[in-house]
Amino acid sequence: MNRGDRANGADAARAVEPGSGRGRPGAAAQTSLTTLLNLVRTGAATTRQELERQSELGRAVVTDRLATLIRLGLVEEGELGQAIGGRAPRHVRFRTGAGTILAATIGHSSLAVGISDLSGRLLAEHHEAVDLAAGPDPVIERLSSLFTWMREEHGTETGVWGVGLAAPGPVHKPDDDRLFAPVLSAFQNWDGFPFVEALAQRTGAPVWVRSGVQTMTMGEFRSGSGIGVEDMIFVKLGRSIGAGVISEGRLHRGAQGAAGLIGYTAIDGESLEGIAGSEAIAREARQAAESGRSPYLAGVLARSGEVTVTDAGHGAQLGDGFCIELLARAGRAVGEALAPLANLLNPSLIVLGGSVAQTGDILLAAVREAVYRQSHPLVTRDLRIVRSQMSGSAGLVGAAQVVVEALFEPKFLQGWIALGSPREHPETRDFLTRAAEAVKRQPQRPRPPGQVVA
Amino acid sequence: MSITGLGPHGERAVPAGQVTLSDADAEAARQRRFSVAIALHTTTSDWSREELAGMVMTLGRYGAAVVEVVDCGFDADRQVAALLRLAAEPVDAVVSIPIGSNRVSEAHRAISAAGKKLVLLDNAPTGMLPGADYVSVVSTDNFGLGEIGAELLSPHVPHGGTVGILAYGIDFFATHEREIAFRKWVNAHRPDLTLVRGKFPDVSQAGATTAELLASHPEISGMFAVWDVPAIAAVAAIRSAGRTIPVTTVDLGGEVAAELAKGGLVKGIAAQLPFDQGIAAGVATILGLLGREPPPWIALPGLPVTSDNVVQSHQLVWRAAAPPELIRARKLRGS
Repeated sequence: MNRGDRANGADAARAVEPGSGRGRPGAAAQTSLTTLLNLVRTGAATTRQELERQSELGRAVVTDRLATLIRLGLVEEGELGQAIGGRAPRHVRFRTGAGTILAATIGHSSLAVGISDLSGRLLAEHHEAVDLAAGPDPVIERLSSLFTWMREEHGTETGVWGVGLAAPGPVHKPDDDRLFAPVLSAFQNWDGFPFVEALAQRTGAPVWVRSGVQTMTMGEFRSGSGIGVEDMIFVKLGRSIGAGVISEGRLHRGAQGAAGLIGYTAIDGESLEGIAGSEAIAREARQAAESGRSPYLAGVLARSGEVTVTDAGHGAQLGDGFCIELLARAGRAVGEALAPLANLLNPSLIVLGGSVAQTGDILLAAVREAVYRQSHPLVTRDLRIVRSQMSGSAGLVGAAQVVVEALFEPKFLQGWIALGSPREHPETRDFLTRAAEAVKRQPQRPRPPGQVVA
Repeated sequence: MSITGLGPHGERAVPAGQVTLSDADAEAARQRRFSVAIALHTTTSDWSREELAGMVMTLGRYGAAVVEVVDCGFDADRQVAALLRLAAEPVDAVVSIPIGSNRVSEAHRAISAAGKKLVLLDNAPTGMLPGADYVSVVSTDNFGLGEIGAELLSPHVPHGGTVGILAYGIDFFATHEREIAFRKWVNAHRPDLTLVRGKFPDVSQAGATTAELLASHPEISGMFAVWDVPAIAAVAAIRSAGRTIPVTTVDLGGEVAAELAKGGLVKGIAAQLPFDQGIAAGVATILGLLGREPPPWIALPGLPVTSDNVVQSHQLVWRAAAPPELIRARKLRGS
């Protein structure tokens, strides 16, 4: 615990005292503090009058709770607003710098780290190649040293409030709401290695883990094309294919946390990944280059010795007939897999991300055509299908957003708000204790090579 | 020479040499007679002059007029003002090297919001996205430059030594990547070394920062400066302190090249090819103006330079014969 957190924690009982009797804060005080903080944090209310109106709490209670939130360092007073007959109201705002969030994504061949304030806005990000075959230890070391560097560059004195981690493949969801460290089953042969626990121990903060596609979905929802949208589907078209679903403003994870594995959908007897995954497309592109069916790709192969899905995209943009048909076929397959989802969920937005989506408009047009053809007219009336503009940042932004949502989820927030920091939450302390024990129990053995599945 | 770094959003680099215009696109560009403005952090450095030369030549080749070149004097506020003004002026595209990150991002967004194409050099401010906010980032592989800096320094630092990193105190993607890569290489290949750091807020403070670093860590036995101008300040500070400490850096500026050639404190340099980068930026600008969606991360590999190849590297980087002192030093070494 750093100095700021300790000061806040010590101040807690005193801080909530006026509105909640003597000693420990009452449940009612915690509830009203939670309500008011989230109204200020989301910008739904920024003056005392607005807070009274939206929270339906009395003036005295709002004044008292705001004073508490200010003492706890979670809220600060801002500039004067517009006067509407009488004194100008003073704005209050959430102190986004009260804590730091760290975010990391681990992909098949690269990792990324980011640092954000409590709004979830990234202050910095860094991406680099990673060799997962070296096992989990070097990855933990690398994440730790990058986090340390980023905190030195951008961190606040308030410490890390949470870590968001995106893993390739599905991430198991617990049966209850307790903080827990899932096994990263996507990494074959990492079995038994307490990766999440080790990350928690290194950062001294709880870790929330989601699948890569789920964090990308969250990133797109909160900071990309999905801003202002309540129902959307994000589709990652890369080496693997997966979907993330936002339904009525919330990420849908499914019973086991494995919702969205659409890459396994069979289209004309083949898996969707087998038709529209980046490796499948690159394989076909290479064959066409070698056989001469695609003059453009043959030229690329001769020049660089390899052919990628990006080359197929360039070829299509330059009018190469084979590349156009290859990507149109992939797009139709994706559209056919998405149409039933559109009919089922009625989203207002479908966002396509990943390397295959970045190949250009031909794939996008084919997806649109297939979805529109196979969907109910009401479903497609206002449906937008777009390409992601967030590139590889979506996953990092989303990982930070997952932490923001978890920290300020009303039930969790009630557990720490009177203490000033989630680092003081009993669940956080329990999680870190369990993480330390798991790391201690870790068998000392050479790490077998790690491969990624899914 | 390979490209080891990823783009600001994790993009795989497309080598600059692979980003080209078809004959039809070249002709279409000439017909449309685009106008382009360029906003650089400075126009007075060798790097800037070469970068500009590559861009201007390429844009001219494809019929685009460079209507203004802004020298922002390393001043973020001046850059913000210039970009906001250019957003309202009749130019089709702006090429810019962002000075810092968050401070200048909104002004850069104003260019694309005004319907103009924006091509970035070296750096994308945090939060700016390809496609939506800019066409491409064209850059040397800064991650690779940091690795080269570490690899060239390593043989000159004894086992168990301490290496000082002279880092830039401004939030700047390119110098951050160099530092991150330098640290990564050392951790992977020379775990016996201890790394310490001094951060200079502006380049005029680099000498003082070096002196402070040497005073607080007298055990330092090697240094890496994130580009050549602070490296020269570091060399002077090391000499003033009566020390002999090997230094590596980035960019083949005249003074560091001379120090390297004569066997002075500078032991290696990771060089960029600014003229080639300028050409790539020019091509990306034309592609963007034609709606061709060039790759979001176009990169050029760094060039490792030692006293053995400094003359040839000078020719490659600056497209000119090396100055007499470099030639003399080469003769003295008998290479």
